[in-house]
Amino acid sequence: MDERLKANRLTVGYGRRAVVSGADLTLRPGEICLLIGPNGSGKSTLLRTIAGQLAPLAGTVLLLGKDMREMPAGDAAKALSYLPTDRPSADLMTCREIVATGRYPYTGRMGVLSDADWDVVDRALREVQAEELGDERFDAVSDGQRQRVLLARALCQEPEVLVLDEPTSFLDIRYKLELVETLKRLAREQDLAIVMSLHELDLIRRCGDQVVCLKDGAVDRIGTRESCGDPAYLERLYGLPAGSLEEGSRPELRHYVRSEGKRLRCGFTTGTCAALAASGAAKRLLLGFWPETVSLTTPKGLRVEVPLEEKEAGDKCARCGVRKDAGDDVDCTAGALILAQVELSEGAGIQICGGEGVGRVTRPGLDQKVGEAAINSVPRRMIREAVEEICRAADYVGGLRVTVSVPEGEKLAEKTFNPELGIVGGISILGTSGIVEPMSRQALVDTICLELRQRFAEGNDKLILTPGNYGMDYIRAEKLCELGVPAVKCSNFIGEALDEAVSLGYRQVLLVGHIGKLVKLAGGIMNTHSRQADCRRELMTAHAALCGGSPTLCRDLMGCATTDACLELLREGGLMEPVMKSLAEAIGKTLTRRAGENCRIGAILFSGGNVRVCMTREAEELMKDWTDGRK
Amino acid sequence: MDKRRTAAAFFLLAAALLILLALNLNLGSIRLSPGEVWRVLTGHSTDLSAAGIVRTIRLPRLIAAAVLGGALAVSGFLLQTFFGNPIAGPFVLGISSGAKLMVALSMILSLSGGFLLSSAGMILSAFLGAMASMGLILLISGRAKSMAVLVICGIMIGYICSAVTDFAVTFADDSNIVNLHNWSRGSFSGMSWESVRVLVPVTAVCLILTFLLSKPMGAYQLGEVYARNMGVDLRRFRVELILLSSLLSACVTAFAGPISFVGVAVPHLMRRLFRSRQPLKMIPACFLGGAAFCLLCDLLARTVFAPSELSISTVTAVFGAPVVIWVMLSRRKERV
Repeated sequence: MDERLKANRLTVGYGRRAVVSGADLTLRPGEICLLIGPNGSGKSTLLRTIAGQLAPLAGTVLLLGKDMREMPAGDAAKALSYLPTDRPSADLMTCREIVATGRYPYTGRMGVLSDADWDVVDRALREVQAEELGDERFDAVSDGQRQRVLLARALCQEPEVLVLDEPTSFLDIRYKLELVETLKRLAREQDLAIVMSLHELDLIRRCGDQVVCLKDGAVDRIGTRESCGDPAYLERLYGLPAGSLEEGSRPELRHYVRSEGKRLRCGFTTGTCAALAASGAAKRLLLGFWPETVSLTTPKGLRVEVPLEEKEAGDKCARCGVRKDAGDDVDCTAGALILAQVELSEGAGIQICGGEGVGRVTRPGLDQKVGEAAINSVPRRMIREAVEEICRAADYVGGLRVTVSVPEGEKLAEKTFNPELGIVGGISILGTSGIVEPMSRQALVDTICLELRQRFAEGNDKLILTPGNYGMDYIRAEKLCELGVPAVKCSNFIGEALDEAVSLGYRQVLLVGHIGKLVKLAGGIMNTHSRQADCRRELMTAHAALCGGSPTLCRDLMGCATTDACLELLREGGLMEPVMKSLAEAIGKTLTRRAGENCRIGAILFSGGNVRVCMTREAEELMKDWTDGRK
Repeated sequence: MDKRRTAAAFFLLAAALLILLALNLNLGSIRLSPGEVWRVLTGHSTDLSAAGIVRTIRLPRLIAAAVLGGALAVSGFLLQTFFGNPIAGPFVLGISSGAKLMVALSMILSLSGGFLLSSAGMILSAFLGAMASMGLILLISGRAKSMAVLVICGIMIGYICSAVTDFAVTFADDSNIVNLHNWSRGSFSGMSWESVRVLVPVTAVCLILTFLLSKPMGAYQLGEVYARNMGVDLRRFRVELILLSSLLSACVTAFAGPISFVGVAVPHLMRRLFRSRQPLKMIPACFLGGAAFCLLCDLLARTVFAPSELSISTVTAVFGAPVVIWVMLSRRKERV
């Protein structure tokens, strides 16, 4: 039977007054159907009719293919059980006795339960994790427990269709989630078809294979939970002002940046994913339950909440995954599942390792030492903090081992720069702010140009350009900001920024940046994003060769993961000075060519630790003029 | 634990019933020794007056008190189940009074017509009266969900019926007033074997039918929605329940007049004793408990101020009314 319950053009109501007209509904085994809609939209009335409590005004309800009105009451009771909002009157009854009443359709003339019936009762209690409530008086248990007992009663009827009217009302959030999980499990394991009404919109996205939305006496929409759970639609359904449901109603990160008049949604990094997954697995391992969602505050200060996937747990270890949400940023790791396995370990403290799909560092000069898993220090700190928080909550003082893995990692890594960086076997777990802020290219350029215009309008014809935060740090450290020249961040768009500056009429421009970025200028690369071109090692190697570097040195340089590593080799080979001079000359040429005659342009390159390594001739003159001018 | 409690409670009830049966045979305005009673019962007595007292007065009266008391308690249990109301009962809801009114009217009519109403006729008219009151109560319960309102309306119906009965009695023939007046206050006195032969089978049939309803009754106790979902044919079940409870209380009223509080107090005491409300246990328990309760009350009615006799309702009220107050108070926090 592929259709457990089918409503055809069903009109329901009381007396002559129709509450809902022309509703169609099909429910298949293992399927959960949610009924949503504002108060008074007829959810309960529709459910009552489906459950056979109320005769339909028009249309039919087919239960297991048969018209429900023509079914003997006992047969219908064996096929469908109904959990109404009314509490049963249950004086003097224990929970087990309440559950046992569900055996009604199966017992004999006097309603005496056989041993087999009692087995079903106990199984139903176990099914909803309420065994321990069996001998409690029903009137004495809490709302959450009561609802579980009533669910057990409904299950005891061994139905094929379960109809629940607002089963989650009056429950606190934990019981709500537990109940939803239980229902999902029942639908899956016992192939039950479930139809229920809900008021909690945040539960919609957690369950429901189809969602039926009622409004103004008719079915407004039948769809997936995605299509019906859309905030804009729900706002219309419930007659809310637009935007009321946007914040916080869905777990996906709702932090936006604005660009080109479009809102771009932020995502979170692989590091955040790993920390969230570790937190979830630790909760299961140490606190004994799977949280429905986990959350953490990223270093940027935004809170991220996500559902867990692929949950697995054993006695001494637990594993779950979090899917990376890159927001509106296009990234090859978007949608990748990051798994974290947490297990009890002998030693003290939290040990973090990389598993399958997480790269391993094979060359020096990266965030992690050679041989370590490519999990950067910030994600490591986030994982540690997240897990420690759970340890404190669980009063656990022993050691834990957290293994991060990415099932797709090895394949994904081919699309990244990891192979070149000497990170093998998978992707890196990284991210310093925990959040991915998407930026379209044009938007970025526009932002930069806007700032350049503003500064020019303020009366500046001198300018310091720098790609990013490292440059800003350097500028502050070297007190360049005290020269009275505005500093503007230009990201990787050095060419565009320069063009705009020149066309605006800036006369003197100083470019300050890390050698890892600006060395690219020596090769004429004016967009320094790694997606555009790299060539850092090639340029270093070429200039080293020009300055008389040995073939061995050149080969070693080509093998370096970072420019800082290259610099180290040059320093050892005694070629630092000539190579830097040679590079400065090349960079100077590139810049002058681009800027033209009306603008003097120089560049200062520094390496890790804010050490100046290279400076074009123009830059030297500019610095001298500016310093003198200041005096 | 549960089963042991049930067994112990049934044993207790049976023992109480046997002791009260024995006491009822022995005690009275003429006290007979247990040996004498035994000889009468086994047919070896030589004392003719003792044999007469036991055989024609005490034995039928005792059987009637036990059976009718049991019937009344079961009727109360049925009504409490039906209304989901722990202080419902045939007397409180005015059903006994309705039956009393009809019986009184029929008796007066038949006597003025010059013929004597048969036992079956009495039951029939009591049943009609009970059904009339029941109909009124059902109308009210459709409007008022509160148990207090329902009970107050029932008591008012009871007063109206009693007033009309008193009115009718006032205009009845002198010769029947004493008899009618005595009956209308409720009493087991003057119970004959002829009455016993009618009331025992009627009650027995009703009890058996009631017992067969215990399965849907258990489901109904949870509430209508639950019962319907379990496959109970509610319309039929309701009709059966009302007919049976009315018939049981009509039977009592027809023979012993209106007896107060047994229908409310006994089911409640039994629920407390058994710590359960399962019809399967409660129906026999209420019957036994009601029988013992009425035997005790009748014993007191006969002996406390012997040779003059109290009306049975006077005694049952003394024991029953406090129970009702107790129920009301212990329920106060939940609903009303």
